[in-house]
Amino acid sequence: MDPQPEPVSYICGDCGAENTLKPGDVIQCRECGYRILYKKRTRRIVQYEAR
Amino acid sequence: MEHGSLTDLSSSTFSLMDEDHTLANSVRFTLNQDPRVAFCGYSIPHPSDNKVNIRVQTTGDSAKDVLKDALQNLMVMFQHVRTTFDKAVADCKENRPSEHMNIDTP
Amino acid sequence: MPRVSALDMPDVPMGQLPEHLQLQRTRVVCKADAPIHTEAIQYSGAYASMGVDNSLRLESFCKNFKIEVIRLTEDEMEFDMIGIDASLANAFRRILIAEVPTMAIEKVLMVNNTSVIADEVLAHRLGLIPLNADPRLFEYLLENDSPNERNTIVYKLDVSCRKGGPRMTVKSDQLKWLPNGSELEMEPPNQSAKPKSYTSFSCSQDSMPEFSKKPLGMKHEDIIIAKLGPGQAIELEAHAVKGIGKVHAKWSPVSTAWYRMLPEVVLLKDIKGDDAEKLVKKCPVNVFDIEDLGNGEKKATVSKPRACTLCRECIRGVNEELVELRRVKDHFIFTIESAGALPPEVLFTEAVKILEDKCDRVISELS
Repeated sequence: MDPQPEPVSYICGDCGAENTLKPGDVIQCRECGYRILYKKRTRRIVQYEAR
Repeated sequence: MEHGSLTDLSSSTFSLMDEDHTLANSVRFTLNQDPRVAFCGYSIPHPSDNKVNIRVQTTGDSAKDVLKDALQNLMVMFQHVRTTFDKAVADCKENRPSEHMNIDTP
Repeated sequence: MPRVSALDMPDVPMGQLPEHLQLQRTRVVCKADAPIHTEAIQYSGAYASMGVDNSLRLESFCKNFKIEVIRLTEDEMEFDMIGIDASLANAFRRILIAEVPTMAIEKVLMVNNTSVIADEVLAHRLGLIPLNADPRLFEYLLENDSPNERNTIVYKLDVSCRKGGPRMTVKSDQLKWLPNGSELEMEPPNQSAKPKSYTSFSCSQDSMPEFSKKPLGMKHEDIIIAKLGPGQAIELEAHAVKGIGKVHAKWSPVSTAWYRMLPEVVLLKDIKGDDAEKLVKKCPVNVFDIEDLGNGEKKATVSKPRACTLCRECIRGVNEELVELRRVKDHFIFTIESAGALPPEVLFTEAVKILEDKCDRVISELS
């Protein structure tokens, strides 16, 4: 495991604003208060076979 | 790979790896047209194996030589097809130089 | 064919086949219910009892074999191949579809895809795009090879749709060729290791003489790859390699390649008057025509046998004794529709070369 848990970005399900959350934070959008957040897609490269 | 008897060279089965109907059926055709061949045929033992067995039985000559001749004949035919085709295309391009020569199919 | 006693048959000179056997040997006859004489008589001794040699003479093949080009455009051609057995014509067709190599996208490195189309579906779509690259200038990427400028083409797609704007369509021309190879870096196995690129190009592809004049782009600029809603984005890299249609249809160089035997329509009896009019009307592709015999007499003729699709409408019911539909067994109308990488005439020559190589390989293995 990583020594320091990194903050992860989430996207609000209502207004679409980006939120950075650390472990223990309240799951709530900072802009509109909506409580459903979606995890952003990873930028890590995923390899596919074009078949 | 050749499966045959050591004493009787006139009949053999040849196993060709990585071949299919494309070559086997063409070779069967040229083999059948050879008067020295008494019997020939091919089979693909299992569709998921890339392998074809060609059976050649001759009237006395070595099956291997007959198969080789059949393949050589096939090559000569292919070379002739290629030169004929190239000539036909060249003629066509020469006579009708426009790229779009849509002739109504008669 | 009417039944005739053997004693009443005309004498056939030695060395020639009687008419009915000649018909059986050279034509498929299409009856109303099913075709007959469909088999090819290949055996050299098939007519030995009649003193007729059926063996292959290379000289006679070379003398009788003919090719006539009917139509030739940038990506389609039709030609008549006359005097060859179906087994060889079929071999050419099979090679064209499954064994002439082309280049196609095989590996997709997805950095970001927030569009509604799933990653694997998008990758599959990219694989099917025809590339404007001559496969003869490339080598196969073998299992332990590293991708380099001789075996791989790299494309980049980086598109996003503006937030608040309208939806957009991503088309194939937005795939950009990267002549210097991959711009992405592999994740290092540990922190200290230097990041490695996905390809190891030793030089830029556009500095190579064969590609500097003709960039390795897409064959068609307007193929829809995906649609993006506001705020969505796709960022990826696509690596194209050489392959054959046998492995995956995306490498097939043709849309399709096919042949049909030349139709031959024969009127067994004279068809006159109203019957002639009826016959002409029956054919949906207008194979028949009317000939005016003068003094108001009309006779049916066969004007366009090549157009016959063998629907058999003309021999349904009463007409079977009047009209015979045949196909010439050694005359093939061959059509090649190229998918774009190579022109059709080059594809055919390549196909024949591949067959020659196959023969050569087996010959050298036998000796």
